[in-house]
Amino acid sequence: MDSVLADLENQRKEVSALKIKSYLCIAIGILTIVAGIASGTFAIAGAVIGGIMLITGFVLWSKTNAKFYQYRHSFKQGVIPLVLKTIDESLEMDYTNGLSEKEFICSQLFSKEPDRYRSEDQVSGIAGKTSFSFSELHAEYKTVTQTKNGRQEHWHTILKGIVFYADFNKNFNGVTIVRPKDMGAALGAWISKAMPIFNSSDRTPVRLENPEFEKEFATYSTDQVEARYILTPAMMERLCELNKRCSYTISLSFIGSCVFIAFPLNKDYFEPPVYKSILTSGFLNEDTEVIRFMYGIIKDLDLNTRIWTKN
Amino acid sequence: MIIALIILVVIVLVGIGFYNSLIGKKNQVNNAFSAIDVMLKKRFDLLPNLIETVKQYMNYEEGLLGKIVELRTKATTANISNEEKLDIDRQLSTSVKGLMVTVENYPDLKANNSFINLQTTWTESEEQIAAARRTYNASVTDYNNAIMMFPGSIFAGMMNYQPINLLANTEEERKNISAKELFNN
Repeated sequence: MDSVLADLENQRKEVSALKIKSYLCIAIGILTIVAGIASGTFAIAGAVIGGIMLITGFVLWSKTNAKFYQYRHSFKQGVIPLVLKTIDESLEMDYTNGLSEKEFICSQLFSKEPDRYRSEDQVSGIAGKTSFSFSELHAEYKTVTQTKNGRQEHWHTILKGIVFYADFNKNFNGVTIVRPKDMGAALGAWISKAMPIFNSSDRTPVRLENPEFEKEFATYSTDQVEARYILTPAMMERLCELNKRCSYTISLSFIGSCVFIAFPLNKDYFEPPVYKSILTSGFLNEDTEVIRFMYGIIKDLDLNTRIWTKN
Repeated sequence: MIIALIILVVIVLVGIGFYNSLIGKKNQVNNAFSAIDVMLKKRFDLLPNLIETVKQYMNYEEGLLGKIVELRTKATTANISNEEKLDIDRQLSTSVKGLMVTVENYPDLKANNSFINLQTTWTESEEQIAAARRTYNASVTDYNNAIMMFPGSIFAGMMNYQPINLLANTEEERKNISAKELFNN
């Protein structure tokens, strides 16, 4: 690990130096042009020198990008797999792939379908008897408003974070969705319960016995009995515990005998630092922690207990 | 005159809404019970295979097996009430749990594939029945709230709807299973 990190540190220094040089050239170029124009007499000289500096800056910047992708590739191919192996031998990372858009839509975690979707850094493996994977993703939808200046597009985030996916320990045929209980979800649940005529979906709200769970989540299912078969009192407790450890309320869907869990996050994980040394102790702590957290979900939700007909 | 007519129409519509809602909730309770019934039937159907498999290995547990056969026969009798059916299921559940404990003494049986399959199917049926019972209780709570709260209570009185008891775990179910106690029965 140390030799890999030392080699990577050299790459990082090179990328960081190139980045600083390119930004400096661009800044000096702009300043020279502005100063030349301001002085009046040196306008042409300022424009020529400033232009050369700007071109040099952009050339360096494009070189930096190529170097950065090489450095990023080395980090994800060389360092992250080593971290994964310290947790479990079965863990693997495919940093170019993630949860596909189709899978994201099919998971039914969110009611909105994305207009812009990006997913990467897929980690997969087997914990005990349960296969699982998780990927970073950013899904957004678009709204368009007409203003006096013309059409304006606005992008809204559906989810920025990690979607965890695992084989569930029980078989089921229907769809059960667990979403954070906000005003909209609470109102929707009340309307579809009080006035079923307005409920166009085949999913109905499920009232569960755990008050803490009911306070945090709104549950919908195509099958009331199956929803309770999945969300046993013990499972509800475990989900509340898992949710408490997250900054934002999680969303879950149980579909096709699998469980999907969406974790909204503010940070991009598995990305190498540019301006901070990677030789400082603990720089991998956050990445390691998130992998351990995801890996631990199998144990937290007791998904390895296979005493039912699914093995 | 028109205002009075509008008020009357609104009252009639609200009345129809409450009436239909109460009927819907009552039907939901019946529907939830029929889900328990289906699960119970599935579970009772597992028993003949379980007995057949176990009988080949267990020579000294005839009392326990006999009790299970007897309960299963009772459960499949045509004219028994829902309460009786649930009571038989409770007794069966306890007896089968006892049987599963006894299996520990029969390593060959414990390793038998058909027995392992039956055991997992039985465990699954336990969870499914528990889920169906919770669904029934949720429907009953919904129904009881509707008929006890104003103005639903007025309609419930006119329709002679009575509160329904929730299905609660019996003291016996809450206790941990004891093989010794079962053998002494």
